[in-house]
Amino acid sequence: MHPPSFLRLCGAVSLVGAVLFVTTPTGRAMVDDALSFAYEAADPYVKEGFTIREDAWGGDLEEGGQKGIRHQLFKGNEYWFWAATDVEGAELEIHIYDASGQLAEAEFWKKGKFAAARISPSATGSYFLLVKVVKSPADRTGWAMVYGFR
Amino acid sequence: MKKTTVLLLALTSPLVCTNASPAPEIDVSGFPAEMVEDVVVPVPSEIFGVLDKLGTPDWKGLLREGELQASEDRARTALLLGTVIADGFIAVQAQDRERVKETGRTVLRLAGAIGVRQSVLSRSNSIIDSADKQDWPKVRRELDGALHDVRNAMIELQDEQLAHLVSLGGWLRGTEALTLVVSQNYTRDGAELLHQPALVKYFETRIEGMSPKLRDNPLVARIHSLLAEIRPLVQMDSGLDIPSESVGRIRDITGELVGSITSKGA
Repeated sequence: MHPPSFLRLCGAVSLVGAVLFVTTPTGRAMVDDALSFAYEAADPYVKEGFTIREDAWGGDLEEGGQKGIRHQLFKGNEYWFWAATDVEGAELEIHIYDASGQLAEAEFWKKGKFAAARISPSATGSYFLLVKVVKSPADRTGWAMVYGFR
Repeated sequence: MKKTTVLLLALTSPLVCTNASPAPEIDVSGFPAEMVEDVVVPVPSEIFGVLDKLGTPDWKGLLREGELQASEDRARTALLLGTVIADGFIAVQAQDRERVKETGRTVLRLAGAIGVRQSVLSRSNSIIDSADKQDWPKVRRELDGALHDVRNAMIELQDEQLAHLVSLGGWLRGTEALTLVVSQNYTRDGAELLHQPALVKYFETRIEGMSPKLRDNPLVARIHSLLAEIRPLVQMDSGLDIPSESVGRIRDITGELVGSITSKGA
């Protein structure tokens, strides 16, 4: 059975060390590990006043593959989006575009299995998040994304 | 602690940023990636957090009176649960300890009526405890978490459609509160918070995808009908504002719907 191409994940926000959904399907377990890393990336920002939402998004992609997430954002908030993979040697990117397709993030970074982007929206409305597996030694690369706001 | 410190340094230091120049523009009409879902529905904290920054409206004046009872109509009870969670946020804004505690108890009672009591038991207790300590940020987190847990419990029970109604109820009450706040003192920035056409469309689509029995529920059908009226009002063409007249109309519509959801005779 092929793993699901994407999953919307829901889990406890235990942040660092979170181990979520110990389940048997390979795809789900792969994404669960990626989710733990995504929460790990988010954890330091809690101290900076960010509230981490207890929902997560994820799935698996081939090298060069990308996934979009449409998101309602509010002017006046500041958001960080953190993505991670569990595949050693894989690299992700995450970017934020506004409703007209213009790159809208204030900054982004990637480091090893982690990537993140920040935005302080100039307008309230729909934005598009783009998660991309830039490179990977695996056929399918599990990824997960969480976000926080303040 | 050591691990956290290392991560903090490693993940936030500008020295580790590697910028591979993302595309400065994409064609959103032919979005260059498969979408995970239609649109991410924000948690109430995201909206109330912005409202915090807009001033100090009369939150106490927005609190509802009267006890809310579960209905034999599960769709109505699911919608009601969503509105009660949104009420909890209003009570937090008003820093009304007793009303927040009442919210915690009502959430538990309504969750029990639709079979997911256990999923919110600890949240409910935490809401009450945190209200006693007047730890308002924690109450907000627990209210967000209660919404999350109820939805997930319903999905596990194959009741995903009812889970959408919980979210919809919360959105309707939250939007009603937002319009009431903006109406108290209209500002362009306040009105802009209503710019949510994709969310309105999302809820319309969710109702259209429900079982005929649920879709034809008179309350659900009425909500669907009025969402179609709200959607053009929350559109905002480039450079234009959402006018106070539109804010007032959305206030009236959402007020009517919340009234129908919470009506004892419904």
